[in-house]
Amino acid sequence: MAWLILAGGGCLQAQTNALPAPARTQTRIDSESAVFDLTSRHAIYRGNVRVDDPKIKLSCEELTADLPQSGGHVDHLVALTNVVMDSVDDKGQTTHATSDKAIYDYKVVNGVTNEPITLTGNAKVENAQVILTGEPIIYNRATGSLTATNQHMIFKQNLASALASTNLPVENLPVEKTNFPPVATPGVDKSSINQPPP
Amino acid sequence: MNNPLNNTGLVFSLLLVPEFFAATVCAQQNTTGHANDFSSVEYFEPPHQQQMESRLSGAEARPEPGGMLVIQQLRLETFDTNGAPGLIVKAPHCVYDVVHGVASSPGHLRLETADGSSHVEGDGFLWLQANQKLYISNNVQSAIEAEPKKKTGL
Repeated sequence: MAWLILAGGGCLQAQTNALPAPARTQTRIDSESAVFDLTSRHAIYRGNVRVDDPKIKLSCEELTADLPQSGGHVDHLVALTNVVMDSVDDKGQTTHATSDKAIYDYKVVNGVTNEPITLTGNAKVENAQVILTGEPIIYNRATGSLTATNQHMIFKQNLASALASTNLPVENLPVEKTNFPPVATPGVDKSSINQPPP
Repeated sequence: MNNPLNNTGLVFSLLLVPEFFAATVCAQQNTTGHANDFSSVEYFEPPHQQQMESRLSGAEARPEPGGMLVIQQLRLETFDTNGAPGLIVKAPHCVYDVVHGVASSPGHLRLETADGSSHVEGDGFLWLQANQKLYISNNVQSAIEAEPKKKTGL
């Protein structure tokens, strides 16, 4: 899972992993208890639920999932209560996300894969550079795109400093190229931009 | 499917103790009153009434008072309406309530897909035959493979 905001020295754009995914394809789901519908393959995990995926680690209090047919892909997950997700991209950048609810879907339509993860309820995504809140925050795991409604972004470091370490010209300020234009978006706390974290 | 006995081929191919079941014997009996290689089949509701929905089997079944069977080496298999195998549940032992169609055990359990690509393990379970619900009460550990295992032909 590559939550990559402001990665690459200030590029405020979600990016997907440049390298192929690791060979490991197993997803582990552990919990205190669970209920399985053996007919529909629907599963509900309860209590200290932990998901260990090659691209993400998730914890929550309740998780519903549909066991795939013949080892296929898990196509629907719903995580509830105290949802915490952590990921590390191929460059070693960590991203931390929290919310009350997270819904993951996997669909392939006309050969195009969609893997949106929708975070709602006190949704927050944070990495080394920024803290993003919104309702909802939607991350497409397949494309790396990240969108948010009613977003509020806080830069943890001075934007100019971040740009200074890159070859980006000043006029290419990343905030003008992303889904999170703080200047044009109502409700954005402009005073928080370029301010150090509290 | 309210009554688990409705579609149940409780036609136990089993054949427990003669005094309990005067059925056709398809399993080996011994003199202590229990049977080997026991199985119980449940069928789908119409229009798929000819297809097995689940098959409960065990290496050994010993009758207990109250319509209970103590089953060793439990194996529970589910099937799709087209006959394709679905999930397989394995447990070293359990108690099966024949009348109510309920199997339970405080012991270990393993649930796996028919192709072996994914599995779930846990301790302590309750299976309700009527609605095919399986409750695992402790230490649930699941492993789901993204791709089916390659068959080696061995």
